[in-house]
Amino acid sequence: MNNNSSALLSVEHVSKRFAGLQAVGGDDGLTFAVDKGAFIGLIGPNGAGKSTTFNLLSGVLATDTGRVCFDGRDITAAQSHKCAACGIGRTFQTPRVFESLSVIDNVLVGADSAGERLLGALGRSWRVRESETIEQARLALERVGLGSYSDDPVTDLSGGELRMLEVARQLVREPKLLLLDEPTAGVHPGLQERLAELLLNLHRSGMTLLVVEHNLRFLLALADRVLVMSQGQLLAEGAPSEIRSNPAVISAYLGDDHAV
Amino acid sequence: MNWPQLIITVITIGSILGVVTLALNLQYARGGMINFGIVAYFAAGAYAYAIATQPAPQGLDQYSFGFDWPWWAGFVAAGFAALVFAVVTGWPTLRLRGEYLALTTFAFAEVFHSFLINERRIGNGTVGLSNLERPVSDWGPIEEKYVFAAAAALLLLVTLIAFRRLLNSPYGRALDAIRDDEIAAAAVAKPVADMRRQVFLISAVPVGFAGALYAMFTTLAQPSLFTAEVTFVVWIALVLGGERPIYGVVLGTLGLVFFEEVVRAWPFETVRSAQIAASVEHVVTGLLFIAVLRLRPFDRISEQLKARA
Repeated sequence: MNNNSSALLSVEHVSKRFAGLQAVGGDDGLTFAVDKGAFIGLIGPNGAGKSTTFNLLSGVLATDTGRVCFDGRDITAAQSHKCAACGIGRTFQTPRVFESLSVIDNVLVGADSAGERLLGALGRSWRVRESETIEQARLALERVGLGSYSDDPVTDLSGGELRMLEVARQLVREPKLLLLDEPTAGVHPGLQERLAELLLNLHRSGMTLLVVEHNLRFLLALADRVLVMSQGQLLAEGAPSEIRSNPAVISAYLGDDHAV
Repeated sequence: MNWPQLIITVITIGSILGVVTLALNLQYARGGMINFGIVAYFAAGAYAYAIATQPAPQGLDQYSFGFDWPWWAGFVAAGFAALVFAVVTGWPTLRLRGEYLALTTFAFAEVFHSFLINERRIGNGTVGLSNLERPVSDWGPIEEKYVFAAAAALLLLVTLIAFRRLLNSPYGRALDAIRDDEIAAAAVAKPVADMRRQVFLISAVPVGFAGALYAMFTTLAQPSLFTAEVTFVVWIALVLGGERPIYGVVLGTLGLVFFEEVVRAWPFETVRSAQIAASVEHVVTGLLFIAVLRLRPFDRISEQLKARA
């Protein structure tokens, strides 16, 4: 599994402790790989370390041990903005948006405009490409179903819409790997369908997806491989059908009496 | 009361302080950084101008450095000094948040103030540096005070245009994003720490220029001119003008300076009435703040200006 030549992301023996408590990685650390173009689901009960894993991969948190490689580069010690610049996009478990900006401006922040550099901003050349960037941002909003809200203040959006806005903000960046943290939580069913369709389209277009989700019906229908985490460690790994019938998963996830 | 003179003074001092308020607006309203030591950057500019342009020490002078450069070189040196001061103070402090940054910058300014008082080889101690060079002494028929007012207004205008251009660009948008949520901004590849540092440094430069202009205008660089009071006056102007709109900031500063100058220039008949006026000034200032905060006149004017633009 490790050092696989087609792996876009490889995580080797990574661990993280908070105040002495192991959040991610047991005795040997957390190890897994994500192939280029894969659609991976990451599931596990609350407190399994899924979001912490995302924070470690995206540079929000520093790892205690282990190594993270992305696209042929060692990004173990890279800061969050460097990870993003490498091509790792992510959303957050609790949506994080820029509250003073409009919906479209939130998406435009995602696009790396030439006018974002100090000298570039004082010049005029960024204006040439700005209309193109705005067009891309509008398209991204259309794709997540927020097209009609583009000029509204972001504070007018519901919790579910904020999640979709985070997705749109990443879409304009065209990340190589997109980490989605519970994308369906609080999203109404109509928009969920749209999201499922969007994720399948992104998958088909070659984007690599790693999705944390509690809505198993949603995730298992989409992902082509599923990682199951429990207590910071990898409990199981396999195709959705295998995971559904894996007794260890069912027991960790729902208790002994349930089946998925 | 001599109204024309009063207006000229308001334009000169108001524009000089307006530059400082604009810098504070950039740092605070857009960069999310609270700087309670802005006076130090202003003082660094004034002292740099003084040291660069004054003649070498002689006789009873306690200062050690005087380069006798022309005024324009002193002006450039002032911007550079403020920049260097921002690098030195920004490097250890900018990782701090909110009130911690406020306290640290305040402490830096106080340390700088007492350094100027106690290290006499730099600025002659409490006496300060006086008789500073003015750019020219003969403008023909135009009185020098008008030249200063125009120069100050020009500096304000250039700073305003440059900052507005910066903030209306994607750079300003990215800054807003960083101020709203650093983690989310980093998740879309914004170099949060670098951009905060850039804003801190850029905004210091015009403050240094304003310090140089202030030194030319008063022909004096003295510790007593650069106390924490200057910082608070500028903060008050920022609050009066509304922190967000860039025109409001300028109007707020001019309004505050106008009020101060009117009280100062009022022709009192007796010493007693002047004393009463001095005490009443504080009461009236307080009432004025309440009224301005309640009615937000500068905020509204600038919104109207923006709507028309």
